[in-house]
Amino acid sequence: MRLEVKDLATGYGKAQVLFGVSLEVKEGELVALLGANGAGKTTLLRAVSGLLRPWQGAVLLNGRDLKGLSPARRARLALGHVPEGRQLFPLMTVEENLRLGAAFLAPRREKEGYERVYALFPRLAERRRQLAGTLSGGEQQMLAIGRALMGFPQILLVDEPSLGLSPRLAEEVLLALKEVARGGVGVLLVEQNVALSLEVADRAYVMEQGRIVLEGSPQRLSADPRVREAYLSL
Amino acid sequence: MELFLQTLLNGLLMAGVYALVATGLALSLGVVGIVNFAHGEFLMLGAYLSYLLFALWGLDPLLSLGLAFAAAFAVGGLTYYGLIRPVLKAPELNQMLLTFGLSVILQNLALLLFGADTRVVAPPYQAATLTLGPFFLGAVPFGAFLLSAGLLLLLQAFFTRSRLGLAMRAVAQNRLAPGLLGIEAEGVYLLAFGLAAALAGAAGVMLSVMLYASPTVGFLFTLKSFAIVALAGLGNLKGVFPAALVLALAEALVSTYVPGGGGWVEAVFFLVLFLALVGRSRRAL
Repeated sequence: MRLEVKDLATGYGKAQVLFGVSLEVKEGELVALLGANGAGKTTLLRAVSGLLRPWQGAVLLNGRDLKGLSPARRARLALGHVPEGRQLFPLMTVEENLRLGAAFLAPRREKEGYERVYALFPRLAERRRQLAGTLSGGEQQMLAIGRALMGFPQILLVDEPSLGLSPRLAEEVLLALKEVARGGVGVLLVEQNVALSLEVADRAYVMEQGRIVLEGSPQRLSADPRVREAYLSL
Repeated sequence: MELFLQTLLNGLLMAGVYALVATGLALSLGVVGIVNFAHGEFLMLGAYLSYLLFALWGLDPLLSLGLAFAAAFAVGGLTYYGLIRPVLKAPELNQMLLTFGLSVILQNLALLLFGADTRVVAPPYQAATLTLGPFFLGAVPFGAFLLSAGLLLLLQAFFTRSRLGLAMRAVAQNRLAPGLLGIEAEGVYLLAFGLAAALAGAAGVMLSVMLYASPTVGFLFTLKSFAIVALAGLGNLKGVFPAALVLALAEALVSTYVPGGGGWVEAVFFLVLFLALVGRSRRAL
């Protein structure tokens, strides 16, 4: 499955945030979307998953225009979104949170989903009866990703998974996403941790003030003087 | 001592119906996010439905129970669709005015149709009592308690085991995530509001026998339910039964031990609400 964003412009109220953004995520690819705070990365994800209406441009999933579809309809088309701030259900157990991720699938796929998520994050299996609100930051992030994976997405948008995590945990989470991508899912990863993202990504885009200003392989981007200066502080 | 225990028993039996009505209110408040002043009017609807079915065809209230549940569910769903959904994003004050207005309209409609007299459904077993050692149990309050407890247990299973029940709790805890997981919040709201009304409707049938049907019977229960929900904590479904028990026991104690207590009973909820709110604000400091 392939995600295409074409010439997308949108914003909040009268404040325009995105000015004609185009990008693409293919099956099995881990694509990093990098940029400073306020560049419009989260806004882009929100527009892709239908939380925000585009002013112009289109979002295509396998060539199908998603215009007018609710976030829930898009999720059912195998577009997953791990939102900013994780947005877990804090008073429900880990397992209940996961189960809700599979709410629209046939019940028999639930078991397959648990197995897959627990294999990826064994720590969640140990805590399956614990309330989500009592998990550590890293475990909460794993749960947010796991919950999205329960719906068997083929395109997965992940918003700042490393936020607030120790460097070791951040790496663990990003490596897990790499594994998800290896399993055939196209992952669009929004990150401020540029160095770490460039280590795991297959491709990357750099956003500045609502526009894509650079794109290419991690090697190319890490060699680019602008990236080195602005994001890698080298 | 016997009088004291008998009083506690009376309170306990009443707590079931209270919890049933208040759970409905807690659902519309916690899941849909709406302060529904017309909640008690669904109860009134159930009570009058039970009265009509009994008066016209002699239908036993036990049979009316299922019908009232379904009818109130449908009315609740329509209310959500026609009135609540358009104001979901409106300021809270507007929402409250809307539900308050709905409550006034429904009460006056009942007044117009049935008059101000109280109507009692009197099946043969209405006055039957069971004796339990030295204690008396009214067959109707006892039956209503068992039915309410049964319904609440079913509800508990629904909320912990079924996907739809989980989705209702999920929507109450986070508004953003369910959509991203493929759950249409609108559909969940509709069902939750219908279910809230259905619980009140079923309670209304029980009250048509235990108490009476009248145009204002529902409003009293709206107020009591608010006291219970405030005591339980907003959105806390598990706390509703204990809170209902507190209110029902307090009422029973006042009725037994305060001279001329019968007249004070209907003010007890206000004291409970007052203490609950003061207690909460002190804890928040």
